[in-house]
Amino acid sequence: MRREFGTLAGLLVLCVVLWFATPHFLTTANLLNVVEQSTLIGIIAVGMTFVILTAGIDLSVGSIVALSGVAMGTAFRAGLPVFAAALTGLAVGLACGLANGALITLGRLPPFIATLGMMSIARGGALMLSDGRPISGYPATFREMATGDVMGVPAPVLLMLAIYGVAHFVLTRTTLGRYTYAIGGNEEAAELSGIGVRAYKSAVYGIAGLLSAVTALLLVARLDSAQPIAGIMYELDAIAAVVIGGTSLLGGSGSVIGTLIGALIMGVLRNGLNLLGVSSYLQQVAIGGVIIVAVLMDMTLRRRARLPTE
Amino acid sequence: MASQPASPARESVAALRMEAIRKQFPGVLALDDVDLTVRAGEVHVILGENGAGKSTLMKILSGAHGKDAGRIFLDGREVEIDGPRRARELGVGIIYQELSLAPTLSAAENVFLGREPRRLPGLVDRSAMEEAARAILGGLGASFDVRRQVRHLSLAERQLVEIARALSLDARILVMDEPTSALTDREAQALFEAMRRLTSRGVAIIYISHRLQEIYDVGDRVTVLRDGRRIATLDVAAADRRELVRLMANREVDELVTRRPSALGAELLRVEGLCRADELRDVSFSLHEGEVLGFAGLLGSGRTAVARAIFGLDPIAEGQVMVRGRRRSIGSPRDAIRAGIGLVTEDRKRQGLVLSLSVRENISLPLLRSLSRYGIVDARAERELASRYATDLRIRTPSIEQVTLNLSGGNQQKVVLAKWLACQVDTLILDEPTRGIDVGAKQEIYALMERLTAEGLGIVLISSELPEIAGLCDRVLVMRAGAVVGTFDRGVSQEEILSAAVGVAS
Amino acid sequence: MSVKRVRWVAVFVAGLSWACNRGDGAGDAPSVALVLKTLNSPFFIELEAGARQAADSLGIELVVQAPDREIDVERQMQIIENLLQTGIDVLTLTPSGSREIVSAIAEANQAGVPVVIVDTRADAQALAEAEATIATFIGSDNVDGGRIAGRFVAEALGGQGRVAVVEGIPGHETGDSRLRGFREVIAEHPGISIVASQTANWERDQAFNVTQNMLQSHSDLQAIFAANDMMALGAVEAIAAAGRTGDVLVVGFDALDEARQAIREGRMAATIAQHPRDMGRLAIESAWSILQGDTVPAEQPVGIELVTE
Repeated sequence: MRREFGTLAGLLVLCVVLWFATPHFLTTANLLNVVEQSTLIGIIAVGMTFVILTAGIDLSVGSIVALSGVAMGTAFRAGLPVFAAALTGLAVGLACGLANGALITLGRLPPFIATLGMMSIARGGALMLSDGRPISGYPATFREMATGDVMGVPAPVLLMLAIYGVAHFVLTRTTLGRYTYAIGGNEEAAELSGIGVRAYKSAVYGIAGLLSAVTALLLVARLDSAQPIAGIMYELDAIAAVVIGGTSLLGGSGSVIGTLIGALIMGVLRNGLNLLGVSSYLQQVAIGGVIIVAVLMDMTLRRRARLPTE
Repeated sequence: MASQPASPARESVAALRMEAIRKQFPGVLALDDVDLTVRAGEVHVILGENGAGKSTLMKILSGAHGKDAGRIFLDGREVEIDGPRRARELGVGIIYQELSLAPTLSAAENVFLGREPRRLPGLVDRSAMEEAARAILGGLGASFDVRRQVRHLSLAERQLVEIARALSLDARILVMDEPTSALTDREAQALFEAMRRLTSRGVAIIYISHRLQEIYDVGDRVTVLRDGRRIATLDVAAADRRELVRLMANREVDELVTRRPSALGAELLRVEGLCRADELRDVSFSLHEGEVLGFAGLLGSGRTAVARAIFGLDPIAEGQVMVRGRRRSIGSPRDAIRAGIGLVTEDRKRQGLVLSLSVRENISLPLLRSLSRYGIVDARAERELASRYATDLRIRTPSIEQVTLNLSGGNQQKVVLAKWLACQVDTLILDEPTRGIDVGAKQEIYALMERLTAEGLGIVLISSELPEIAGLCDRVLVMRAGAVVGTFDRGVSQEEILSAAVGVAS
Repeated sequence: MSVKRVRWVAVFVAGLSWACNRGDGAGDAPSVALVLKTLNSPFFIELEAGARQAADSLGIELVVQAPDREIDVERQMQIIENLLQTGIDVLTLTPSGSREIVSAIAEANQAGVPVVIVDTRADAQALAEAEATIATFIGSDNVDGGRIAGRFVAEALGGQGRVAVVEGIPGHETGDSRLRGFREVIAEHPGISIVASQTANWERDQAFNVTQNMLQSHSDLQAIFAANDMMALGAVEAIAAAGRTGDVLVVGFDALDEARQAIREGRMAATIAQHPRDMGRLAIESAWSILQGDTVPAEQPVGIELVTE
């Protein structure tokens, strides 16, 4: 029943192999590094999980990271207190997500097309707003968000875990979560059961946009710089994490726990390949291979469990 | 061979003989030793209710389905049809109800799709292709330009393109499945004219239709199927309409479909003058507590359109819906559910259930909000509710956590019913509630309907199963072409209903 | 059933680590990491080759890593964090972002690993704020290179004419510096005007399209400056396609072999040579000196020169 166990076992085996392969892998410092490095994609992947559970896709998350960050930078440079500037960034991310939702539900555009458009619009908007240049220099209090720690655990890791906790609760215990699964499993049946499908779908894209903005703030805090070219291809890493975590691209089944493990697998793999000194070229091949193998296995398992595969 | 040759004057070797064809589907014997003989140059009509086995028989002939037993002879020679390609090679052409043309290609291109005459490899000889298409279509009496895109042609013209495609494959046996269902009378006449030209050249046509009048217009002989059995084969000239209706409808009463009537209570639902372009014409009716109101009619007669309109799925052009005497505007399923109406759709897998969710999650879906506080679901209340209804309806499942995909058809249907009952609806619309489920589950659903009406629910039953309509309903409305054409009280016979549905005065 | 997936992943990773495990157990050889902006441009591949040659002759264990995308500072920082875990002795680095990289440099400092910066400077003010230090900077001045290109164009046009610019990715330090130097010089010549300036995102095929459009709207164009050679070559092809080879002179940057070839054939006018191979060699030699306890100069300029034949 618990499909996540398979993914978790994969992660553990990966860790064991790396433990044997290099003495530098299994150290507290390195493991904290890995988790911290997984936070950016990890947080975006939460929103992506919601979207994919409704059988949608969001290609615009990486660009929304850039636009939200730049929006925050611009607001801060214009004299707003850093806290208010951060809220501005969050609002912009949420607005972009809701715009995606409106295009998909009211405009009846396929999610692929709507978010592909938003991907370009947000990226262009970020470049326009920043005039193509990074916006740097933020107060240390804000940067604490990325650089601080609580009893040795980096703040971004705590933030990510909190987000996963909330998302897991929402998906398993709330109406929003149930409707997300129902819409992805059978949109027509959900509609016929009286669920306001449009509103919930829009909300899901709003969540994806908002979490992209959270990631943007984290990135700005870490780099001390809001970059209009930030987040390029994050959407693909996030989709990969979701899919490795066992969520079906056809919608209706999956979990954020799986996604967290998926994001960690990507993080551990990258970290391990760095530690082993594997060439950058081969790393790309390896990551692609892992994505394909994970999904192939997942589909095989589904077919055996008689769950819908197509 | 049971039937005597009915018109010896035109006797010859049968173009097609199907002998003792048998086909078993899970839970249903679709064809039970069916014989069919079709002569060259005749139009042979196959008549039967929905589910009588007409389509299955034709699918076996065209290679779309395999047969479990039986033999097929073409021109007296036994053949094995193991796929659509083989059927085509043997000269069997099929014109389907849903046209299968490529809309953006020209008529000529469609006629020769996949077999374009080539000048060089990969290079289509366009003029030769158009010439050939013109010759075939001209022979059918078509006068349009073969270079026009199919999407610009009328439905009747497209039918001719389909026929031309079959003929270009040297079809000697042509199956036409309700070809006139979307045509105007004038277009239908033109099609009949084309059919006559074909038969005069010795082509045998198997013609499937619901419209009794057409049988007399074009048919030479008619075979009646019922419940997967061949009932009779007659000369059209000798067949009386009422006789045909009786043959179609009359069945052995081997399963008793009855329901004890309940006392009728207050009016639940009143629909007045419901109109929707092409689909519904001035439909009015009312439903009371404790009543089962039946909607009979052929496929596409507007029964499902009524359900969709009341449930807020399709906007209505005119008319009003009153719930318990108060006028309500229902613009979405949500409004309908609030008004106390539930809909069990005809396609439960596509519309009724979220198959990837569990029994519990499906049952609670429409009323999850009322089981929640601040958006958080009360898991215990939900479990209790789902268990109660699963037990109450005797849903056979290892646990309420079972994914509904793994349930049988009958149990899936019970989950859909449970979902609405849990919502405390007082009006239930059932659209083909027993389709594709086994006899035992059917009986359970009939019993449930009896119990629910006794408890005061009102039920609208849409069904193509005449015994259900005749046996369960307090009143029956018969629809044809979007309008109510007949109203009957309890005790009406199946023949009366069928006569009204196909348009024959009884 | 999950056992099967597990087995797959295990086999996959085990195979990889077997194939590529070069980093560990090499004994006493000092280990130096070279973290580049990318490994998919000829400039950095040359730089790596120079570094590898020096490392081999000095007996240094060299680990080279780079993000998939040149602009991905975040990923570059992660690579540095990961490599610091493996106990490298010196970090040599071409920063993907001048300011952003500073916190990674600070981490290296904390780990006691000296940092050698190559090609792109780390922001001095940010370094000061973070109290981070670098051992040395090796590189040539992109602004200066832009100036050299500007002077060449001004001279070739005789102080009169209309010029277009093909930019790299907006907001990208290297490209911005080159353009800044170029514009600075052109501004000193009132007879020369920059009539168009468009980005082609460092890419050859985009430069082809951008140049085509520019030739359409400015038929009297006399010179094009592209912020790297890949884009310059795209411009050369667009000019050839318009049948105007020789009318419009093209100046690029980086002195790629293919650009030198185009210059010899008269299709392109000039390019700026930066000697990445020397940078790579110097970086490793500096690392060696630091490990020996020798002092290295804070700045080690690498020559930059105009190539016209």
